[in-house]
Amino acid sequence: MSEKAFDKNSKKNVILFALLTSVICSVLITVAAGGLKSLQQANMELDKKVNILKAANLIGQKKPAKDQINKLYDTHIKEVTVDSQGNITDTYEPGSLHLYFIQDNDSSNAGTDANAQIRGYILPINTRGLWGKIQGYLAFENDGQTVSGFSVFSHSETPGLGGEIESNWFQTNFKGKKILNFRNEFVSVGIAKGKVKNMPKNLQDHYVDGISGATLTGKYLSAGIKQTLKKYDAVSITFRQKNLRALKNGQEQGIQQ
Amino acid sequence: MSEENPNYLELITRGIWKENPVAYQVLGICSALAVTVKMSTAIVMGIALTVVTAFSSLIISSMRKRIPSNIRIIVELAVISSLVIVTDQVLKAFFYDISKQLSIFVGLIITNCIVLGRAEAFALANKPFDSFFDGIGNGLGYSLVLITVAFIRELLGSGKFFGFNIIPQFIYDAGYQNMGLMVLAPGAFFIIGLLVWLKNSLPGISKEER
Repeated sequence: MSEKAFDKNSKKNVILFALLTSVICSVLITVAAGGLKSLQQANMELDKKVNILKAANLIGQKKPAKDQINKLYDTHIKEVTVDSQGNITDTYEPGSLHLYFIQDNDSSNAGTDANAQIRGYILPINTRGLWGKIQGYLAFENDGQTVSGFSVFSHSETPGLGGEIESNWFQTNFKGKKILNFRNEFVSVGIAKGKVKNMPKNLQDHYVDGISGATLTGKYLSAGIKQTLKKYDAVSITFRQKNLRALKNGQEQGIQQ
Repeated sequence: MSEENPNYLELITRGIWKENPVAYQVLGICSALAVTVKMSTAIVMGIALTVVTAFSSLIISSMRKRIPSNIRIIVELAVISSLVIVTDQVLKAFFYDISKQLSIFVGLIITNCIVLGRAEAFALANKPFDSFFDGIGNGLGYSLVLITVAFIRELLGSGKFFGFNIIPQFIYDAGYQNMGLMVLAPGAFFIIGLLVWLKNSLPGISKEER
């Protein structure tokens, strides 16, 4: 070999190699991230829908096919914007809130009939957890106080501990809990420390079983739910009043008949 | 190349048993603590790490004559992290549910010392295909430990196997309780420690040869 043999440790080669590696790696990553972005976003949209439907108890633990998810979502879920008084508005202003209605209507007039039976509503939960944001949905019946479902679609809690908020047993616990106490005062729903059955009787309606080893996640989630509920108080009150009126009407009709 | 090369086979078994990355080289302990609460995450992490180690070893080994030695670690890290990020993106696009389950662990593979350890200790001095199989062997060895630890932890810590309850209710009624310690990281420490001790005390298998 002559003295012009390839020297991998020469200054020129070091710089060249470093440059080349950086360029190749960055191109690779950019192509992968850019090229797959639309697919990833579609996945995330679908996942959001799945979780909204889960909170609404329209699908169980098993995930149906994609078309079915979209169909269920289109027929039963309607995204609405309300102002701070709880009235539905078409325009988005600062202070207005997003939520979803769960509708029970025939497939024939899906999405068109404004008077479709509203079975309940879903509030988006967006709160801090122990390690990062927890995003999920809390669904209510149309009486404005009974929780009908809960789901989480994004979190970064410790798997096996706080990550259990994703699990079915934890989420089904929320069903049937009340956010009002027997005096109709707002108390929210919280996550208990330990099991609910060990709590005082009068609190059992407002707490769900905690996750052992994840006290802080529970604490933050409880606080987040309470905050969200306060923010959406006007909506819940509207629902409660409507429900009362409906009950009264029903009774009067019953008397007349 | 149609026949199984005994050389490759030996490389794989060495990674799985004789020079097991966790039990013998004591690498990758950190993630072994984090992902072994449940069987399902342990298995997926094992597969992901095996794939990444195999391919990073392959790539680094094929460049080994060109990598300048004073920037080799940075180059290795660049290769590994690019691979991991690409894997993560692909998982997010095509296996969204799995990627959601794995969440942070895919990113953690970059910092797993097994990948860098094999690149440094083996890939830089051996042929590409040898390195590839060495990576597979080490990945499988890591998975084996992970799965064993996860099995014990999930069974004792939450009475489950792959998320199904397997300890019958009457045992709980009789006063049995899940071991809270097993769900937390110290439980994994104890089990890994015991496993290392067990493996290294088995006769004639992993005595230090040199």
